[in-house]
Amino acid sequence: MSTAASLHQSRKRRNGVMMTLCVIAAGIGLAWLALILGALLYKGLSGVNLAVFTEMTPPPGDAGGLLNAIYGSIVMTIIGIIVGTPIGVLAGTYMAEYGRFSKLTTVVRFINDILLSAPSIIIGLFVYELMVRPMGHFSAIAGAVALAILVIPVVVRTTEDMLNLVPNALREAGTAIGAPRWVVIRSVAYRAAMSGIVTGILLAIARISGETAPLLFTALNNQFWSSNLNAPMASLPVTIFQFALSPYEEWQQLAWTGALIITLTVLALSIFARSLTGRREDK
Amino acid sequence: MSQMLSPDMTIATEAAAKSKIEVKNLNFYYGQSKALKDITLSLPERSVTAFIGPSGCGKSTLLRVFNRIYELYPKQTAEGQVLLDGQNVLDRSQDLNLLRTKIGMVFQKPTPFPMSIYENIAFGVRLYEKISKAEMDGRVEQALKRAALWTEVKDKLNASGLSLSGGQQQRLCIARTVAVKPEVILLDEPASALDPLSTAKIEELIDELQADYTIVIVTHNMQQAARVSKQTAFMYLGELIEFDKTEKIFTSPREKRTQDYITGRFG
Repeated sequence: MSTAASLHQSRKRRNGVMMTLCVIAAGIGLAWLALILGALLYKGLSGVNLAVFTEMTPPPGDAGGLLNAIYGSIVMTIIGIIVGTPIGVLAGTYMAEYGRFSKLTTVVRFINDILLSAPSIIIGLFVYELMVRPMGHFSAIAGAVALAILVIPVVVRTTEDMLNLVPNALREAGTAIGAPRWVVIRSVAYRAAMSGIVTGILLAIARISGETAPLLFTALNNQFWSSNLNAPMASLPVTIFQFALSPYEEWQQLAWTGALIITLTVLALSIFARSLTGRREDK
Repeated sequence: MSQMLSPDMTIATEAAAKSKIEVKNLNFYYGQSKALKDITLSLPERSVTAFIGPSGCGKSTLLRVFNRIYELYPKQTAEGQVLLDGQNVLDRSQDLNLLRTKIGMVFQKPTPFPMSIYENIAFGVRLYEKISKAEMDGRVEQALKRAALWTEVKDKLNASGLSLSGGQQQRLCIARTVAVKPEVILLDEPASALDPLSTAKIEELIDELQADYTIVIVTHNMQQAARVSKQTAFMYLGELIEFDKTEKIFTSPREKRTQDYITGRFG
């Protein structure tokens, strides 16, 4: 009787200790996030004004904005997504549907996981060798290709995972009614996995909109307005990188503001992606 | 009846209509392991046949051979013959999609497609028929009426199929199957995930449908087999132990194993 009671007591104590450690760990994790967001808001918010969205990046010592960088980021992100998403979705579809039981899928999944965790600067160097050197100059299109290469593994992974979550019973039901395979995939599997696949694409956008390294070697940067895809183009992350390292106060302020803009955009995308997944789970 | 059937597998009834599906010396393998052993039986047209037996006896497997749905998965192979109106469906040349429009299937768990109630039914019809909106409306209504679901859903045809209750979803699946005008309907434990009331509705439905369709039902529930079927096949460990008129199986089975199973001594 007393042994049982003491067992119970010590188990309770251990539970208390572990629980405390878990809470502390969670607190530390959240604290960093809060600190980063706080610092960004504190330092960045004061620099947010109309000029940020209407004027070009200034020369040192002058006032200016981030318009060309914001524009460049949007353009290269959109092209990266447009190029990367179809490839990713189709590859993920192959892996989850047609090649579910094939060796090739195992191999592709393995390579894709490596690509998923490959340092993005290596992707930048790769595209530098592939496009920038032969073309002889940096260009926005090379930057977009580098971003597309980053998009592909993310989309492949989420598409495959989401399609794998679609119950086989649903595929069987579609097949049993006489629908050919591709119709089952298009009309049943995609529909069932839609919110998950879209979430993956949104997460890919969030990932590439903050990438600096792959753009350094490809799109480089541009002090001025340029919509020429065959020329260097500014982007927010590279501009932040350059301005934050500079000794000029105006540049540093713009870097903070740019960082805030990116962070809030990524945050908004993540929340949107979350809400999509959440709605799926409600069903 | 074919001479290939051993006498004890033939239904000794003159009233039995012509057979719709004839299975001859069917073996089935999951990889190396043999799941069906030399099955031979013949299912009469426009009648309900039940497959009973303990878990893993191969009754679902047998059902899944009829529409070759097993081919979605690798390493599953069937050998022998399954004749649908004399045509071997196991032939390589058999068009699988056409076969499946002739042999519909309803599964254990309700599987409404992630689309509206209307679309759930129109989807299958549209695959093989080009008909006007008005005709399609008629087909949807007819199918839902056939599945005794019309009155419950007629005001919310655009609602998601997933919004229905489990029993309604299952009737939607039956409606969807009926809508493509199959000749045979395979039911794989269609009521085992449902409450008793929904089960009763499904059974009623099966009773009505047998006027027009050849129905094969796999069930764990022996009372259900007794209630809905005209003939029953008892399977055990991949073998067809006994196949006869349902009342014969349940009152005076020939085999001791059948007797033991239906009296609850094992399984």
